Amino acid sequence: MSVHHDCDVLVVGSGAGGATTAAVLAEAGHDVLIVEEGPWVEQGSVTPFSLDQMDRQYRAGGVTVALGLPSIAYTEGRCAGGGTEVNSGLYRRPPESTLDAWRRRYRILDFSTDAILDICEEVEADLTVQTVPGEHTAASDILRRGAAALDWQHEEIPRWMAYPEGAGAADGQRQSMTRTYLPRAVRAGARLVCDLRLDRLERSGRRITGARLTDLAADGPGDVTVSCRTAVVCGGAIQTPAILQRSGFRHRIGSTLAVHPTVKLAARFGDRAPGDVNTPDDVSVFQVKEFAPDLSFGGSASHPGLVALALTDNWRDMGEAVTRWPDVAIYYAAITSEGRGRVRAIPGVRDPLVTYRLTGRDRSLLGQGLGRLALTMLEAGADEVYPSFRGAPIVRDRRDLAHMNTAFSAMSASVMTVHLCSTAPMGDDERRCATDSHGLVHGSDNLYVNDAALLPEAPGVNPQASVMAVSIRNARRWCDRNS
Amino acid sequence: MSDRGHEASTAVGRFADVLLADDLPSLPADRRADTVALIERRIERLPSVTRFGVRIISFGVDAVARVAGADRARRLATGVELPLLAEYPRLVRSLGYAHVWETWPDSAVDGAPA
Repeated sequence: MSVHHDCDVLVVGSGAGGATTAAVLAEAGHDVLIVEEGPWVEQGSVTPFSLDQMDRQYRAGGVTVALGLPSIAYTEGRCAGGGTEVNSGLYRRPPESTLDAWRRRYRILDFSTDAILDICEEVEADLTVQTVPGEHTAASDILRRGAAALDWQHEEIPRWMAYPEGAGAADGQRQSMTRTYLPRAVRAGARLVCDLRLDRLERSGRRITGARLTDLAADGPGDVTVSCRTAVVCGGAIQTPAILQRSGFRHRIGSTLAVHPTVKLAARFGDRAPGDVNTPDDVSVFQVKEFAPDLSFGGSASHPGLVALALTDNWRDMGEAVTRWPDVAIYYAAITSEGRGRVRAIPGVRDPLVTYRLTGRDRSLLGQGLGRLALTMLEAGADEVYPSFRGAPIVRDRRDLAHMNTAFSAMSASVMTVHLCSTAPMGDDERRCATDSHGLVHGSDNLYVNDAALLPEAPGVNPQASVMAVSIRNARRWCDRNS
Repeated sequence: MSDRGHEASTAVGRFADVLLADDLPSLPADRRADTVALIERRIERLPSVTRFGVRIISFGVDAVARVAGADRARRLATGVELPLLAEYPRLVRSLGYAHVWETWPDSAVDGAPA
């Protein structure tokens, strides 16, 4: 069965970029249709960070990879609310120095630091960004304790969570897009259709006229068409460039993927720390910033399944630790990479080819990061540390740590990332940028990008605040021009 | 084929079955079958290019298994540290171990039920 929709503005994707775009436009009186490839999954109906969640809310069940030496595993949310439904909920404003550098290097107009930070302040109110009430989880406190022992700079990262009266650190309710900006958009008249995959945009010369989609929930063929006056693509840093390329736009699109590569370790504290260390459904809210922006350390989800996964690279020596998973937590070291990747749509193939090339400096930094993170764990009182790379030794003291540093090779490490951006960078420097300073795709009169793809570089911090602030700024500017 | 409830239907499944049987020798056959089925489903959901690459490698390993035996093929695949090829057993193990300990978190290190 064929279905047709008509709208003023088609918003593709409902994550941090799409939901904010739709809310701003709909509240300004525009006729907005949001199409989301994934399903609507009610918060609380799925266990956070579980395989079930990966099945239901992640693209490809959470198994996606940027090919390279080494390859880098990454994840993409694929559900109403996008990545905001599945990430750790940590919130960091973009550093002022980063905003200044972006404005200068990419010639981004109307991009004052104060204006962006003002929008951040609005976002923080909308999402009830705050630190956790009461005591931190043991996994959080481990990172704080280790950094404090080394006299390294560390801080609690606020989260966009609401905490009911008397709630503990792990009882926050996520203020993700399905709880905040998507309902706002719908209340203002926007239509949200889930389970619709955009195949390509239809164009006539420089103008987008509509889109062809597939209804993934339909029993039959499920062909869907949309007519629109403006299209805003907010599919995230991997899908957005793929959509643009499939629709015939290629200038500077998909050739500058930036990520924060991470390496991880598991650490066991059972003999010294009081009580269980592992909080399966939550992550540490502390981060170590002593070496930022090059390096930062934080905590990962530590379900028993994820603990097992963290030990697979040397199961023979380390596997026994999985039987003590309540005493084990997982931590990561993230770097600001100088490498870049590519996203390439391949004709006749649904998914894009994603590649990433770490530089020699990146590989070295990953090793330094893992070494310093392991040291943090030892200083926090870890009995054993289990680095995630093939052939890694168990680290029990500084002598083992020296051995680990010698044995580390990025090629044998499980490198992953959750922060992807910069595949359609914005700015008026057309030689470097895919869109103008407000997201209008070069070569088009009515096609915009408004998501993480616009960020010219990886911001060095959790990027959701940067994405939301930039998206709101661009959407407001579009409203000013189209009122 | 190792001792299990039903035969894996894909080259990836056959490799996963042998790998898990060796890594987790006390994992009960029904749990291993369940885990292998999950691995097969997950591989089918991989993005096109990655799935194609995994299939190529899995066919190669499967061919070696038919000629030289499943255990030799497993040792070859897990012992060779070539880029991309080394990712194959890592991917299978990651999916399998994550499933086993998420579903049966009290399992012993060899997969034995608590």
